[in-house]
Amino acid sequence: MAAEDRPADVLGPAAREAGGRIRATLAARFRDLDLAEDAFAEACVRAAQTWPGEGVPRDPAAWLYRAAFRAALDQRRRQAVRLRLQPDPPPPSPTAEEALVDDARLIPDERLRLIFVCCHPAVAVEARAALTLKLVCGLSTAEIADAFLIAEPALAQRLVRAKRKIAEAGVPFEVPSPDGWAERMDAVLSTLEIAYAKAHADAAGAGPHAGYAEEMLRLTALLVQLAPEDGEARAMAALVRYAEARRPARLDDTGAMTPLSEQDPALWRRSLILEANVHLAEAERLGAQSARALNAAIHGVWCSRRSLSDPPPWRRVLILYDAMLERRDDVVVRLNRCVAVAEVKGVDAGLTELSALPGPGLARFQPYHAVRADLLRRAGRRAEAAEAYTCALDLAAGPAERLWLERMRRQVAD
Amino acid sequence: MQYMLLIYEDESVFASTGDQAAVMDVVGKHMALSQSMGAALVNGAGLKNTDAATTVRTGAGGKQTLHDGPFAEAREQLGGYYLIDVPDLDAAIALARQVPLYAQGAIEIRPLLTHGEHKNG
Repeated sequence: MAAEDRPADVLGPAAREAGGRIRATLAARFRDLDLAEDAFAEACVRAAQTWPGEGVPRDPAAWLYRAAFRAALDQRRRQAVRLRLQPDPPPPSPTAEEALVDDARLIPDERLRLIFVCCHPAVAVEARAALTLKLVCGLSTAEIADAFLIAEPALAQRLVRAKRKIAEAGVPFEVPSPDGWAERMDAVLSTLEIAYAKAHADAAGAGPHAGYAEEMLRLTALLVQLAPEDGEARAMAALVRYAEARRPARLDDTGAMTPLSEQDPALWRRSLILEANVHLAEAERLGAQSARALNAAIHGVWCSRRSLSDPPPWRRVLILYDAMLERRDDVVVRLNRCVAVAEVKGVDAGLTELSALPGPGLARFQPYHAVRADLLRRAGRRAEAAEAYTCALDLAAGPAERLWLERMRRQVAD
Repeated sequence: MQYMLLIYEDESVFASTGDQAAVMDVVGKHMALSQSMGAALVNGAGLKNTDAATTVRTGAGGKQTLHDGPFAEAREQLGGYYLIDVPDLDAAIALARQVPLYAQGAIEIRPLLTHGEHKNG
């Protein structure tokens, strides 16, 4: 017992830190996500009631696990009685010896199973990330609703529906077999990628996504730790780290965004870049060749820049975008490739590529107008550029990007 | 856990003017699949085309009407099913992936209500 610790200061962090592991273990054991969540919540309530009187336990996580486990058994027994079925015999109480086991040995790590359950292809796409953040990372429904910019009741309903589907459709609490692994891991990583894109798009980092970008660092680290031999998971971990490393340089003093090629590498978080380099090297060793892995490689090329006096690595970036186009041919990749083409082969070549982009939906695609405006400005076509900047501003842009677009529009309007 | 694999495809491809060898090929594949399912297969059947269907519809107030044809006109029709008993959804998906189709279509996987269970909202 550590008498000097105030219970209230210990419970929050302990619950946050161990919650994912405890919920995952209970979910795997009882095959019931709601039961796992409720039992853990009950354990936290009991901790809040008893720790102030009895003192903080030596190992708070182990205490919470035992209390949650007992709460889950209790609930199950009550359910069994309600159904008039013979309840399972209660498990033997923990012995004195067991009470000395620390949490790392006591609580098996079932979080990978839980992640695969939350991101199972049978779960609605729009619920997967939220479910993962809630059950594995312990974010509250309110926090997730903030991050995804949806109303809390709507999100709560989505979560309820997803959990019911998992229970009723018989989604297994298992890691997939080797022949299904790649497809299922892809479903997990795509879920995280989409969720992260939302966080990354918020350049200001002051919005509700900021804290949850940090959560993506933790979640990808966890995934790599649980599935160390999966190259795609490594690529995802690298991708998030490179992108987060640059966050401090993404805004200038006025709060406007700074384009990647103009960011001062001295402001980037070196420690994250070094971590990302390790993950990317592992991804390559493990043979990861997806569009995601190439995207991570592109980020890696940018983050290898040490100062603004180094020439921007556009040639290498273009080669990687060419390779990426063979794997993921969509408008986002093509648009990014146009930017690289304009740098390597000249603005006119970039504009030619841009005009060849497939039409439908493009008019409503904000990044298209932003890129087009920039290329027109550099080609000296000022009136057209001003018009394109206006189009980009009319479509939803974040505050940092607005400031930058407005500044650019003033340049061509003068 | 028991699941129904509901087979939806465009039944017009099986019309007599179609390629009979290809139809027989699909039938052969169904027989092979039934064999390979072993104990997982509870039962299964193909359904006659929807022009043999009759629908009894019960409307508000219990008023019943009878009409010729399937309950809903769609591009793809329910053409057969397998009832299987497997450990979990992943096992059901693995079998659903093996269900042969003439060209394209969809297999809907529906868990059966178990004894004492009720439909809820």
